[in-house]
Amino acid sequence: MSKKQEPGMAWNMQKLNKIFAFLSVAFLVTVVWVFLDDYIRPWKAVQLKGMQIKKEKIAKDIKAAEEEISQDELAKLNMQLEASQKTVDSRKEDILKAEEELRLVKKDLKNETIVGGIANSQVSAVGFQYGVAHAEHASNADDLYAKLQVKKKEFADSTERKKILQTKEKELSRKIRSYKKEVTDTEKSIQNIVGKRDLLLGAKNKLKVDPVFVLRNLPFIDFMDPTLKIQQVVLDNITDDRYFRHVPKVDRCMTCHVFIDKEGYEAQENPYKTHPNLDLMVGAKGKHPMKKFGCTTCHGGEGHRVNDFNSAAHMPKDDAQKKEWEEKYNWHEPHKVPIVQFRKGQYEAGCVKCHNNVEYIPEGTVVNDGKRNIRKFGCYACHKIEGWEHNRKPGPSLEKIASKVSKEFFMNWVWDPKSFNKHAKMPQFFNQTNNNTPEFVKKNVTEVNAIAEFVFEKSKKYKPFAKYTGGNTERGKKLVRQVGCMGCHGVEDFAKESKKVDAFVGPHLSGIGSKVKSPDWMVSWLLKPSHYQEDTIMPSFRLTKREANDITAYLMSKKNKKFEELKFEGINKDLRDELLVEYFAAFDPEDVAKARLAKLSDHERTMELGYRSVGKYGCYSCHTIEGFEGRAPIGPELTKLGSKPLTQFGFGHEKVEHSRDKWIQAHLLNPRRWDNGADKPFKDLLRMPQFNMTEKQASDITVALLGQVSDRVPVTGVKQLDKDEQVVAEGMKVVTKYNCIGCHQIDGDYGDILALYEDDINQGPPRLNGQGHRVQADWFNYFLSNVYPIRHFDKDFAATPIRMPSFNLSNEERNKLVALFQHKSKQKTFENLPAKVEWLPGERRGALKLVESLGCNTCHAGLPGSTDEPTAPNLKYAKKRLRPSWIKKWLSDPQAIMEGTLMPSFWEDGESMDTEVFGGDAEKQKDALVKYLQEIGEDKFSPNQK
Amino acid sequence: MKELINWLADPIRSFPIFTFLFFLMIRYYKVVGTKKFAYWGLAVVLPIVAWFCADPNFIKIILWPDNIPINIIIILLTFLTWLSLYKCAENDKRIEAGECPIEALPENREKVWCWPNLVYTELFVIIATTIFLVVWAIIFKAPLEEPANVTWAPNPAKAPWYFLGLQEMLVYFDPWMAGVILPGIIVVGLIAIPYIDMNPKGNGYYTFVERKLAITSFLFGWLVLWIYLIIVGTFLRGPNWTFYGPFEYWDFHKVVAEYNINLSEYIWIKILNVPMPKNILLREIFGILGTIGYLVILPLASLKLKLGKELYEKSGAIRYYIFIFLFIIMMSLPIKMVLRWLINLKYIVALPEWELNL
Repeated sequence: MSKKQEPGMAWNMQKLNKIFAFLSVAFLVTVVWVFLDDYIRPWKAVQLKGMQIKKEKIAKDIKAAEEEISQDELAKLNMQLEASQKTVDSRKEDILKAEEELRLVKKDLKNETIVGGIANSQVSAVGFQYGVAHAEHASNADDLYAKLQVKKKEFADSTERKKILQTKEKELSRKIRSYKKEVTDTEKSIQNIVGKRDLLLGAKNKLKVDPVFVLRNLPFIDFMDPTLKIQQVVLDNITDDRYFRHVPKVDRCMTCHVFIDKEGYEAQENPYKTHPNLDLMVGAKGKHPMKKFGCTTCHGGEGHRVNDFNSAAHMPKDDAQKKEWEEKYNWHEPHKVPIVQFRKGQYEAGCVKCHNNVEYIPEGTVVNDGKRNIRKFGCYACHKIEGWEHNRKPGPSLEKIASKVSKEFFMNWVWDPKSFNKHAKMPQFFNQTNNNTPEFVKKNVTEVNAIAEFVFEKSKKYKPFAKYTGGNTERGKKLVRQVGCMGCHGVEDFAKESKKVDAFVGPHLSGIGSKVKSPDWMVSWLLKPSHYQEDTIMPSFRLTKREANDITAYLMSKKNKKFEELKFEGINKDLRDELLVEYFAAFDPEDVAKARLAKLSDHERTMELGYRSVGKYGCYSCHTIEGFEGRAPIGPELTKLGSKPLTQFGFGHEKVEHSRDKWIQAHLLNPRRWDNGADKPFKDLLRMPQFNMTEKQASDITVALLGQVSDRVPVTGVKQLDKDEQVVAEGMKVVTKYNCIGCHQIDGDYGDILALYEDDINQGPPRLNGQGHRVQADWFNYFLSNVYPIRHFDKDFAATPIRMPSFNLSNEERNKLVALFQHKSKQKTFENLPAKVEWLPGERRGALKLVESLGCNTCHAGLPGSTDEPTAPNLKYAKKRLRPSWIKKWLSDPQAIMEGTLMPSFWEDGESMDTEVFGGDAEKQKDALVKYLQEIGEDKFSPNQK
Repeated sequence: MKELINWLADPIRSFPIFTFLFFLMIRYYKVVGTKKFAYWGLAVVLPIVAWFCADPNFIKIILWPDNIPINIIIILLTFLTWLSLYKCAENDKRIEAGECPIEALPENREKVWCWPNLVYTELFVIIATTIFLVVWAIIFKAPLEEPANVTWAPNPAKAPWYFLGLQEMLVYFDPWMAGVILPGIIVVGLIAIPYIDMNPKGNGYYTFVERKLAITSFLFGWLVLWIYLIIVGTFLRGPNWTFYGPFEYWDFHKVVAEYNINLSEYIWIKILNVPMPKNILLREIFGILGTIGYLVILPLASLKLKLGKELYEKSGAIRYYIFIFLFIIMMSLPIKMVLRWLINLKYIVALPEWELNL
């Protein structure tokens, strides 16, 4: 240390002061920095720009409003205003006088209010005192009573005076108004014209950046009443799971997405855009208003964080957007966020957690495609997914398989189903990336042999009840196309049509001749499917023997020569024994395992390996196989897949982006990829088979599965099906099971096969619009078990006779179907018919005349004078079938119920085509016709009923 | 090269290297404690650090907000250690030459006023520290993590940085030892130092020659057994507390082969090839004897050494034994580490029945 300082000083004081000055300034700067850092938030800039956009929009609206104002009229009104002002001015003295009078009256009135108020309170007080005194028999009770009467009188007098004054006040006000009448009226008319503009101008004024705006948003002062502030919704019905407790969800997304719930900003860039489809989502009057459902409930992510773009866990939809965000917002992978936002295109995943009790979610296009594909590929069979348990096994039962296909076919098929039928839904287990080494292929071949032996041995005997007697292939082909097979099956010869319908419930019909062993089986199956398999969903089309033979001839003629030539390698007994020893040695030493093997005969060994292999590959999950009843499905449960921690997904050594959706998608496209680079023993290889699905299918399924999250939405927040909806949901389970929607459209949804009837939709299966209101429940119930042709009178139709098949429904299922429609239309079970039709005087004659004049009998059968070739249903059977109130509705406007129907509209806009009957009264006419149908109707559900 | 550094960084190799470097530094403190060495050291280290930082995996772990204080501590510690060695070296040269230490020069013994010399400068420090902390808080915002979930612990679950040395000790010791007994002894030991250290030399001035044992043993415990373990715990332990080299990506699924065996299993089964005795004390007898030997015989045996004898005479029996006890407890950590690496030793005494594992 230098010694230049004063005595007793270690430092130079000047220097110390300088340091202090520097530090003080630095400290001040830091303090300012702290405030600025706290004050400058990214969302404020967003809101400022939002204000700018709003201003521009209002300016545009003002311009539009001004254009609407008729300047001529405005000028005229303004002139009128001047004139009336003059008239009013001439009454100036009267007005002044009246106003002065009014002022005095108001003063008196105020005074009287005070006097009356005091009197009133005194009455109450003395009244109480008297009451006490009276009860206690006090000596002053009488005095108090007298006093009370005085006070009451005072109060009554005051009230009376007040009433007089009030009347006077009203009178004077009316007088003044009448003096000014001309001016006020004209002003009102002007306001009517320019009101909209003035409102907009007011709104614009509110957005002005003036000193008050600046002051309110100044740092430190902005705690009081800022205009730029965090916006939020707090949801009582939906909670965030904070593990130790559930807290109400708070979403602040609208802090930046400022116009998300406001119409008119659809064309803006994000975040200023309006939410699409406000009627469904976000809109205050929509089904899911923002105030009630928030944002992250559906979108996922962290809605309460508004620090910056990243904190909300936004996820880019693709690499291009990722790059854009990285540049614009410094985007990075969200850290420490349990559920990130769904990417664009995956939003519908958010529907699943609340709408988990229905087959399909109304208006959910992507998620419904996902659900449809889950159904198609049968994911639910191997993986438990809550809400899917009621679905039947997606594969056919193998309990009688030996009578249907040959063992050779079976093995070749199992080895590579797509080589037989490229549309096969059965996935491929073998010859995959993780088991295509020669060693593994040999083992797999042995396993497939053993599976075949096992399944065929377990297979029960079956003898077809019908004999194939030869048929016409051409006719068969036509039948397959027309009768309705394509609602459930694709057909190889109708590739274009099959693609249009995209049916998946039944197998795609290609190469059937190489698959089905005997034509007898085929004929029997077609005539009565339940004969072969009791619980089949394949319905009977009530085919004649000839028709069945024709179809059989056609189907059996379709062969897959290449596939037929395949010879499946036989069982390798050494490998079989080796595999068995491996199984036995799971818990025992090899010697014990070998000894156990030695005790088994050759046949028993094959059976054992077959049994174990069926278990290993999970065949039993999709197919009914004897010996595997009640065994849990093979795959892991997917109910909470969307919440599974990312670290629990095995990415192996694959270069797949580390996110849930990318993993699921990659997994669906190639389930065995995770084994790449893993040196695994044969028994531990991944077994999820290859479905060869398209990227679109995989991404749709991904969306449906991503929505399977574990957050429990409180009961009050979940979509609660009401009584009707519950019945509908139950019925829809039956509908999807039997694939009614493969043919029928229900209130505008589904109806796959209608794609083939674009030219004339009336030739397709009937659309079930408001079906529950249309038909009586007992008729419907009868019809489902006793199908009869309703439309076969139609010549055009008869040429391509698609027909309603007879399903093998249980009583319960039939009831559920009937109830479904009835509750969907919110109808009672029956609409009662009067025992006898009660006619009003002259009504019957009118009805008869109408039938004539409107020409009902030119199309409909069953009426007097009906043509020999009717083109519309027989009205004799309408009585038991149709509900009277529906008939009336139908008559009023058929197109409103069934767009494109051939039924003409006779009462358009409530005006009858026939102006004579009942003086053209439409209601009376329709009522009369309804009654007429009751009268002529037969008391039978169908013409066939005995 | 990076592979080699990753390989070297594994505690099995880096601990001996670090220990060796430590003793090298102590041995040649006069070389280390020169400005020339400091400049050269900086010139060599800075490019290396720059090269390290060019690696994405390294920079990621370095800039992890939680780890910033540890970066600062490493830089500060290096400087302060060098500074003390420098001052020691200066003084020691003077002492050897028969002069007094720099601090004892007449001009440095002059007395100055408390105000403003001390109070004013303290105020500076207060302000400067506040500025530093505020700026730090602004730049590295406290991270918001996911809500705590009892069924989903973060991985790696790391203690606050100043406890990472202790957490690293958990790798080698039973939680009872690493979490309760050893930290307790560390605190008690630190409190006891002034009462054990009777050497009046070095009061008010830096010196190494006059306090060789004290400085060496303290710095060994501080730098090698505490700071080094914090560095390992911070930078080199990733998910599942698995070791990751400085340039290694923290792959969640990394697996390392570790299978640890108790001393009793080694002796009874591996060496003697007989079943383990049923009596648990008998089963662990070798470990128990070894531990007693370590704790009792070693202090007694140390008296046979010249160093031990001198110290005993200087400080008296009680002080001497307390010191030796603390010292061997401290040394038990590196011993256990070495045993773990050499023979995968799990516990010397394994009495899970009594929750007593050493």
